[in-house]
Amino acid sequence: MHSFESSFDVIVIGGGHAGTEAAVAAARLGASVALITSALETIGQMSCNPAIGGVAKGTVVREVDALGGIMGRATDLASLQFRMLNRSKGPAVWSPRAQCDRGLYRRAARSLIEEQPNLQTIQGTVARLIMDEAGAAIRGAETLEGRKFGARCVVITAGTFLRGRIHIGTEMSLSGGRAGESATTHLAEQLERAGLTVERFKTGTPPRIDGRSVDFSQLQVQESEIDQFDYSWSHFWPVPRSTASGTRNPTQLPCWITYLGAPGKQIIADNIGKSAMYGGAISARGPRYCPSVEDKILRFPDAERHQIFLEPEGHDTSELYVNGLSTSLPADVQVEILHSIPGLERARMNRAGYAIEYDYYPPTQLDPSLQVKAINGLYFAGQINGTTGYEEAAGQGVVAGLNAGLACTGRDPIVLGRHTSYIGVLIDDLVTRGVDEPYRLFTSRSEFRLTVRQDNAIERLALIALELGLYDERERQVVERRFAADRETRRLAEETSIRPDQAAPILSGIDSNALVHSVKIAEVARRQNVSLASLFAAVGVGQDLDPAAVLSTELEIKYAGYFDRERIQADKIKRMGEFSLPGDLDYARMASLTLEARHKLTAIRPRSLAQVSRIPGVSPNDIQNLVIEVERHHKRGVTS
Amino acid sequence: MDETIAAEATAHGRAAIAVIRISGLAAFEIAGRHITPWPEGHRRATLCTVRDGNGEVLDEALVTTFLAPASFTGENVVEIATHGGVVVPTLVLAALVASGARVALPGEFTRRAVLNGKLDLVQAEAIGDLIDSTSRAMQRVAMTQLDGGLSRRIEELRDRVIGLESLLAYDIDFPDEDDGPIPKSRIMVATGSVIASLNDLLATAPAGELVRNGALVVIAGAPNAGKSSLFNAMLGRSRAIVTEVPGTTRDAIEAVLDTGPWPIRLVDTAGLRETTDVVEQLGIEVATRYLASADAVLACGDTADGVSRTAAAVSQLTDAPVIPVRTKGDLASSLDVNTVSATTGQGIRELLDRVAEVVSERYGRAPADAPILTRERQRFCVEQAREEMVAFAAAIEDEALPASIAAVHLRSAVNALADVTGTIDVEDVLDRLFRTFCVGK
Repeated sequence: MHSFESSFDVIVIGGGHAGTEAAVAAARLGASVALITSALETIGQMSCNPAIGGVAKGTVVREVDALGGIMGRATDLASLQFRMLNRSKGPAVWSPRAQCDRGLYRRAARSLIEEQPNLQTIQGTVARLIMDEAGAAIRGAETLEGRKFGARCVVITAGTFLRGRIHIGTEMSLSGGRAGESATTHLAEQLERAGLTVERFKTGTPPRIDGRSVDFSQLQVQESEIDQFDYSWSHFWPVPRSTASGTRNPTQLPCWITYLGAPGKQIIADNIGKSAMYGGAISARGPRYCPSVEDKILRFPDAERHQIFLEPEGHDTSELYVNGLSTSLPADVQVEILHSIPGLERARMNRAGYAIEYDYYPPTQLDPSLQVKAINGLYFAGQINGTTGYEEAAGQGVVAGLNAGLACTGRDPIVLGRHTSYIGVLIDDLVTRGVDEPYRLFTSRSEFRLTVRQDNAIERLALIALELGLYDERERQVVERRFAADRETRRLAEETSIRPDQAAPILSGIDSNALVHSVKIAEVARRQNVSLASLFAAVGVGQDLDPAAVLSTELEIKYAGYFDRERIQADKIKRMGEFSLPGDLDYARMASLTLEARHKLTAIRPRSLAQVSRIPGVSPNDIQNLVIEVERHHKRGVTS
Repeated sequence: MDETIAAEATAHGRAAIAVIRISGLAAFEIAGRHITPWPEGHRRATLCTVRDGNGEVLDEALVTTFLAPASFTGENVVEIATHGGVVVPTLVLAALVASGARVALPGEFTRRAVLNGKLDLVQAEAIGDLIDSTSRAMQRVAMTQLDGGLSRRIEELRDRVIGLESLLAYDIDFPDEDDGPIPKSRIMVATGSVIASLNDLLATAPAGELVRNGALVVIAGAPNAGKSSLFNAMLGRSRAIVTEVPGTTRDAIEAVLDTGPWPIRLVDTAGLRETTDVVEQLGIEVATRYLASADAVLACGDTADGVSRTAAAVSQLTDAPVIPVRTKGDLASSLDVNTVSATTGQGIRELLDRVAEVVSERYGRAPADAPILTRERQRFCVEQAREEMVAFAAAIEDEALPASIAAVHLRSAVNALADVTGTIDVEDVLDRLFRTFCVGK
């Protein structure tokens, strides 16, 4: 019927953080994969700030890595500054964040993609999907250049490119998916014609300046905190970062801190009518947690100053990213604002900040495998689902890619539970609750902030990855070594005694009561501020254990009671998750449910009771009644 | 809940009017078969003719329709106000049932209102209290809860704990922000004030029970000491509802007196002398049980000597204040203690005042419009919330736990408070946080 140039199991459209992960995940499952993107040079492009990780996000990077993704490894090869955020707030919420050299990151991502077997990259802009006659299943994709490729599944990761429109002030607005790159309209029109609901979001980015024009003497410096951190363990770097050379250990660079004060606020207030967002050019909703500087001034007029971070864009450029100054004011006003900032009085602006509006598809149109409910074989991941952030995109990319790959090999889809990962929380929130502003992860979105941590991603996800067969032999060995280290750490802590004289130097240093007689190390490790590693060192055991395993075990020992609370909750969710809902339930006719619940359930078609419990507007009473209705439904099925 | 239910909404019996209520998906359809003309527009009382299935006229009635969800139950509802009595409402109800309605179970309309989100749990409980209320005090409290008084108070407390949670969430989720870390003192002050409010609310629980059940005032004394006459005389002085205590009708009679600030549950007990009569023995055990839980005891006797003997005996069996009462005052010569006469009514008013005074000494002033906890269930949830808040305060104060871990207590406290009225959502924390802080660099 169609003359395909070649055929694949899975085609991934887009080479950003969602697309690259989707392609790798499907290929790791053994599916044949094509990644089609408008420019191969921009694979792995960091479109906004030059940093990977942060609170909750850093944990996602490690989860992506544990599932065989590339983001952790690419970051390790490109990191030019590292900080562990929340270090003072307890190891349970430690959050790794790395500033990256954009060029190094892009190159690392592209080589990791090209190292992956079963994965082919193709340059082209997809103009349309090729569907079956009913328009209900995927057959392939065709590019603007007229190249046709067959596929059983397609993952769309279009970022901000679907009908993207860039705004700088009220006068200046142009079509574009990213500064200097064209938007995609044909595909957007086809998706809308297919009956999918489409909405608009906006996001923004700050100006970039020439570092040679900055007076650093006025700025506060922020050095790299440590340089020993690696996101990736599944790839087990053979040499420690500190002794490696080249991109394995890029030179560390500082960031700089300054602030926007009263003069800058005045300029913004005087020109607010010229802002694309406040002058009426944009009506779409933007994120509350990543506000434009216009938002900050108008919503919090009492704040005296707002911090500005100057972040290096890379080793091979003097360009700096002005974090904190996202704006859609006209370029000349942006320059005026920059000049009001201490240290930037003579700053030259290389690139103006802008706001961008783009299409997204409300994600309640997806099932939990990220497949579009209405079109068999079509998956969405990333900003197309109304999220923001590289990490959120990558997490969805992994899941969409895995599920596309699984579908092609006739296997059941994988759904990560909320208790397993932040990726699980993210996807469950998207498909169950939907979004009303660009979605970003926070620790407060998770009920499992203590048990879902950056240090234990491998414990949480390796079993799933092993079962899916995502690891190669070397990775499997690394993971097995880590599990063995976990067991050994636990055993040593529970079986080794420590004498009062051995513990004394540790305990007296932190005003903790001295031991009266010898006790097991685990017992002392329960005390606040006593590290398991220091106890091991005092007794002289476990010196060669993986420090990551020691940290995870220490937390499990120290906060066992609190972790148990979360795990009890997790078990409850698991049990509710096992109560599956038949696909043919007629919610509209369930008179024992509230009208609101009936509408929501009909629209979302949840798969399990656990998912129902998180739909806003569905009450505990509705859930009880739903259980009764389902039992009735089963009985009818048996008798009829 | 797919069935349409109907019932007489007013008490069955002789009365000027009776209201029959029908609720459910088919309420309009079923009622429509019996009512002409059908009212134009909703929520407007219309004079209609009600007929049975054979077209025979049953009554002229005022009919009001309510379109879902703007009704008591949140469903389509028709209220038919017929003439009262035993016959007409029964016939109308029978006609509705013949057309497909089911007779509602007790409390089923309210249950549907809760299921349909028209009332929260506290409000539903308040409706029960309002219907059952035997005193002005109870009715006032129930009206306050029904109006959402307690729900609002709980909501407000919950909101404050969520506020605290969002302070911690801000610290964890936005480590690089302008405002910097939240000072410990700010968290401690907010925590202390939530605990104080929870304590205030918990302190209302005894008053809540008192308002629901009335203060237990027991009349005690030897047989023929004039107890029953006193009981009746006190009843005669105020509005009262007499109830028989099941199984002990002969031995203890209760009445609720709506007098003074607190409702009084007045109990007339059997004689307190030793007996071999099994039935009377039973009565004495009942009396002893009542005395043990009494809020006040009236120790009666028809002589000064009798009064003091009774008072001494009663004091052994109760911690409650004992009020000596000299009965048959019309026959007495000296008026040393509270002397009353059931015959002349002498001293009864004063005795009621004295009882009110003693109860108020014990429980303080009756609550005005402030929300109070009236149910064990509510008290249990609030107590749990307080325990979690106290544990949180201790952890933060001693820095025994990192805030991220201690926050588990806050979430548990929020859940406990939510259990009083309804549910909670994590989005609440973020909404709160974004309202309070300028976040995002």
